[in-house]
Amino acid sequence: MSGRTVLAAGVLTAAVCGGLALGTPPVPPAEFAEAFVVTELRLPRLVLALIAGACLGAAGLVLQEALRNPLAVPELLGVSSGAALAVAGPLVLAVSVPLAVQPFLAIGGAAAGGALTLLAAGAARGPSAVLLCGAAVAAGLQSALLVLMVLADQLDLQLIHRYLLGSLSARTWDDVTELTPWLVAAVPALVLCAPVLSVLRLGDDDARALGVRVHRARTAALAVAVVLIAPVVAVCGPVAWVGFLAPQLARRLAPGKDAVGWLPWSAVWGALIVAWADLPARLALAPVETPVGAWTALLGVPAGVLLLKRPPGRARSKARLPGTDGVPGTGGARYGPDGIPRSRRGGAG
Amino acid sequence: MRRLLPLCALVLAAGCAGMIAGRALGPAGVWEVLHGGGSPLDRHIVLELRLPRTLVALTAGACLGVAGIVLQSALANPLAGPEVTGVAPGAVLGAVLASGAGLAGWRSPGAVVVAAVVGGFAGAGLLWLLAGRERADPLGAAVYGVLVSAVLSGATAMVLLAAPGELGSVVQWLVGSTEGRVMDHWNLLWPWALCWLLAAWALAAPLTLLRCGDDEAAARGLSTGRLRLAALGCAVALTAGAVATVGALGFVGLLVPHLAFALYGADLRTALPGAALTGAAVVGGADAAAQALSRLLTDVLDADRLSVPTGALTTCAGAALLLIVARRIREEETSA
Repeated sequence: MSGRTVLAAGVLTAAVCGGLALGTPPVPPAEFAEAFVVTELRLPRLVLALIAGACLGAAGLVLQEALRNPLAVPELLGVSSGAALAVAGPLVLAVSVPLAVQPFLAIGGAAAGGALTLLAAGAARGPSAVLLCGAAVAAGLQSALLVLMVLADQLDLQLIHRYLLGSLSARTWDDVTELTPWLVAAVPALVLCAPVLSVLRLGDDDARALGVRVHRARTAALAVAVVLIAPVVAVCGPVAWVGFLAPQLARRLAPGKDAVGWLPWSAVWGALIVAWADLPARLALAPVETPVGAWTALLGVPAGVLLLKRPPGRARSKARLPGTDGVPGTGGARYGPDGIPRSRRGGAG
Repeated sequence: MRRLLPLCALVLAAGCAGMIAGRALGPAGVWEVLHGGGSPLDRHIVLELRLPRTLVALTAGACLGVAGIVLQSALANPLAGPEVTGVAPGAVLGAVLASGAGLAGWRSPGAVVVAAVVGGFAGAGLLWLLAGRERADPLGAAVYGVLVSAVLSGATAMVLLAAPGELGSVVQWLVGSTEGRVMDHWNLLWPWALCWLLAAWALAAPLTLLRCGDDEAAARGLSTGRLRLAALGCAVALTAGAVATVGALGFVGLLVPHLAFALYGADLRTALPGAALTGAAVVGGADAAAQALSRLLTDVLDADRLSVPTGALTTCAGAALLLIVARRIREEETSA
């Protein structure tokens, strides 16, 4: 326990110092409090990165546990595509939107996309059916977005592209305050749904035997995930693969726990990933800023593959007992596409 | 073979619909041109613009359908479409890189094909290396495939950020569009497609055996590893050719094989040509529908730059199909 905490604290300190000090102009740590560039530009950006990462990481864990699939990522919920559609639509079609409405545009789109998924998933029972419904809704929204992108001219296109990748550039304290009410709503819901997640992990039949109304619980988990993801996507765009990587890290660094134990760590690792990815995003191609989402995809996914590839211990016999293993890789292999446990197929056999 | 005839008719119908669905010329004009008449402008429209576009759409659809069915059979994985095995994203990345570096452009489709093939093989190779020992495990391989695809799309996005000037022309690729394909594209596509479609056809019988399981196939004296490699190469080549000419048409490679299996059963000797025809019919139909829709929207909205990309339609259709599939899963689970 303490080892993990020390590690997380070290990584966090490094990310905070690096995030605040580096850039043009570089600011030594002693002058953090005075420098305008730190207090008004870099600090809100860092805070936003941490919040966004925590939300995405927690949402990723909720989805993966509720759908019992390591590939259940926030991107597949229709939330991010809905937000992107709502942002891109008025831009491309040259519809003027009143200034007061603009901040709610992306949140509304995200919520609408998520609601559509919930609606479509309402007919589906079983984790993989829910996942498929989410993928279908996301794909449908994506194609509508692509039609808009084909219509857009060059300048709008770059704006949309940048937003789609997830970017933290030019975010201020206003954006942070915009996020706060959503967090106030999401955190208690998250805490309430966490214990149900560890029951859902046992499989539908076992969970039902324990008195959980599986379908309702899964829908509730989806709704919580939507509330977590929508505001983040509205402010930063869909920062890719944080929701995939953070839960993997949490499981790997704390094997032997269950969803309740992983949830806070998943949020912590998500926050750290985004904070760290924001450094190369700001600094790599110095005067030009790259979107942070491109870096999380480029660096995060190989890291996730490594984690999937080398589960700690490789204890096959242990992997038979759901809930006791922290092995995401075998978690994927243990269940067929329909969520029914299957024995591993022999490799060369 | 007789069961393939209705599909042939359907492909023909899709082709005809593609020929007459365009904006500038009605069916009567097209008929006149095909009989040797018509004004020079009409002849140009039909023979130099619509005909190659329709042919490219049909051929690319056939390529994607066959690539999908070969991939799914070789990897014993119903989820292994070109989009989730790193092949299509790799091909897109190759094409984007080549045009970003100034090596190839819309005007030189030949170089784009080469770049897309190299990219497609790179994507598949990456998956092959990563999946390692878990190659035989369908879900594990699918997980790695999705990850590889994500990395490659991330890289594509980075390239597009570095060369923002390319974005406008490249978006068409990312969506998949048959807009503005001319004889040059067709001349490049058909020899490539013919060659690899025949190769896929030659693999049909052993692949059917492989679908019964590795042990079964090995017991009949089949060298499963080598067969899988050949099948993968074939699928990559087919996908890369299609992507280089029409872009990544969403969901065609993933869902057409399911349609083909549903229609023709598990024997690849009929299902493989079935997938080719289904793919051609789907993409040809989507192409015709996209043209008709663009025309309709232009009339309704009174805007002239509106053109619906074919890929958007195939993606929408694929999404609808996925929802149906999801509902079927529910039925199976409740019965089990």
